[in-house]
Amino acid sequence: MHPILGDRRRLAIYLVAWLLIGLLLMSGLSGDSAWLSAAVFFLPLCLVYALVSLSSWYICRAFPIDDRVAVPRVVAVHMAVAVLASAIWVGIGAGWASAVDAVVNLGAGLLFAEQRALLFVVGALLFWLAAVFHYLLIAFEASREAERRALELSLLAREAELKALRAQIDPHFIFNSLHSISALTSIDAEAARRMCLLLADFLRETLRLGSNSRISLADEFGLAERFLAIEQVRLGSRLQVTRDADARAIECLVPPLLLQPLVENAVVHGVAQLVEGGTIKMAASRNGSTVTITIENPCDPDRARTRGVGLGLDLLRKRLTTQFGAYEAIHADEQLGRFRVEVRLPAVTAV
Amino acid sequence: MMDRIRVAVVDDEELARRILRELLAAHADIEIVAECANGFEAVKAAAELTLDLLLLDIQMPKLDGFDVLELLGSELPVIFVTAYDSYAIRAFEVHAVDYLLKPFSAERLAEALGRARERIQSRERPPVRDLLSTARADRGPIQRILIRDRADVHVIPVEKIDYVESQDDYVAVKTGGHSYLKEQTLADLEALLDPRAFVRIHRRYVLNLARLSKIELAVTDSRVAILSDGTQLPISRAGYARLRELL
Repeated sequence: MHPILGDRRRLAIYLVAWLLIGLLLMSGLSGDSAWLSAAVFFLPLCLVYALVSLSSWYICRAFPIDDRVAVPRVVAVHMAVAVLASAIWVGIGAGWASAVDAVVNLGAGLLFAEQRALLFVVGALLFWLAAVFHYLLIAFEASREAERRALELSLLAREAELKALRAQIDPHFIFNSLHSISALTSIDAEAARRMCLLLADFLRETLRLGSNSRISLADEFGLAERFLAIEQVRLGSRLQVTRDADARAIECLVPPLLLQPLVENAVVHGVAQLVEGGTIKMAASRNGSTVTITIENPCDPDRARTRGVGLGLDLLRKRLTTQFGAYEAIHADEQLGRFRVEVRLPAVTAV
Repeated sequence: MMDRIRVAVVDDEELARRILRELLAAHADIEIVAECANGFEAVKAAAELTLDLLLLDIQMPKLDGFDVLELLGSELPVIFVTAYDSYAIRAFEVHAVDYLLKPFSAERLAEALGRARERIQSRERPPVRDLLSTARADRGPIQRILIRDRADVHVIPVEKIDYVESQDDYVAVKTGGHSYLKEQTLADLEALLDPRAFVRIHRRYVLNLARLSKIELAVTDSRVAILSDGTQLPISRAGYARLRELL
């Protein structure tokens, strides 16, 4: 779609600009003729040429100015087209002058005969001016389009991040945390602030790390510990956490938010279901080409098992299968009130 | 001036109890008579104290809010307090006075208390017990039987049940030599159990199929079920037909 023809407001401004050019021509080229005959001759002619000049957009578009284009060729094309357009214009001028004179004798034919040569030069220059103008317009539109697309892309990326976050984190965790903060504000304002910071920190880190394709196991443990620190505020002494990871294990790279569904399960379906609570044990070790991560928690063997247990585990299993193929990555078992998940991954470190 | 409303606050989170205590302090007619950290304490409180209102969390260890309500089996008005909006329909089915979503404002709590006052004054007491059973039946067979013994609660996983015996308006749940009485009819309980695992072998008995050792022919046409611990239970003619369908 033509950027001017397709937009009424722009077209109006464009035509007004051409009327001004027409007035300039009138004052510059009228010579001895009366102003009325100059106006009748030049102003309609300029409007017609305004429309003719719109065609330069198609040439500008066909010969965009960028790194790959030979400038002399573009100049030659524009020169030829300008000469052609101006010649047509002068032809139209001749016709218009005799048409005007046929109706009322204003001496337009005389005026035309006097200024024919100059009119041709001005016509070519004006057409060039229009070409420059169209190039500017195209550049302007392109930069606006680029801006819009960049914005769109960043919105899409943010949306994807938020979706990933939503998929990994139970929203009730956030509601419960907010409720704890709400309770703490009057009991212990300082603790409320700490809790706010913990929560913000956890969410921000989740977003930041979640957008990577691999993060270090050390970062992953850090994220899990932040989550558990928040749950500790809520559950108090009922929740204890230990971590036992060797240095060679935590430098390995893992998919982000790998542990999130596991520690969340350990809290929601494990420790939080026990009146007396318990300890979540996180561990990691590296054995040759394999890194093994275990999360262990006490659980109530007689608990009701309908509350979506295993859903997070299934999702994680799917995720790991798509990344590592048929590799049997996850083992979960429950014995005598202890639930244990073991994740084995190929030990990959940063190069 | 009406009597003070005696409230029990039930939540497994200390902070959640504290904010309720703090916000309830603004209401002169409310008296907190018990703070319970789990469902067992709530049942105990309800047995030992006179309560007018429960402020009840849903997600709690061992016994959730609905379990507590089922065990109390009474008309005690309840306001649920939870971070989960997904239980709202169940809460409605058990005639909860209100359903507060954490975190909530002081105004929202005041509104809920207003409704509770109306409920308490109107003395209208919707029957909770039947509704609990029907609401539960839609969600598949139960996995545990909850039995209240005055202030104590027994949680019996259904796979640990040997058999259930009808005793008038009660059922006796037999498990490993113990017997627990629950105020429920055998037909009601049977409807809640998994029909593939439990079978009504007699007007008075529902048997856990996993406990059945063998069936012996007693006198003419009457049979006896021998359980793995040696217990003998009579099998009626209809019961035997049902058994044969499953075996």
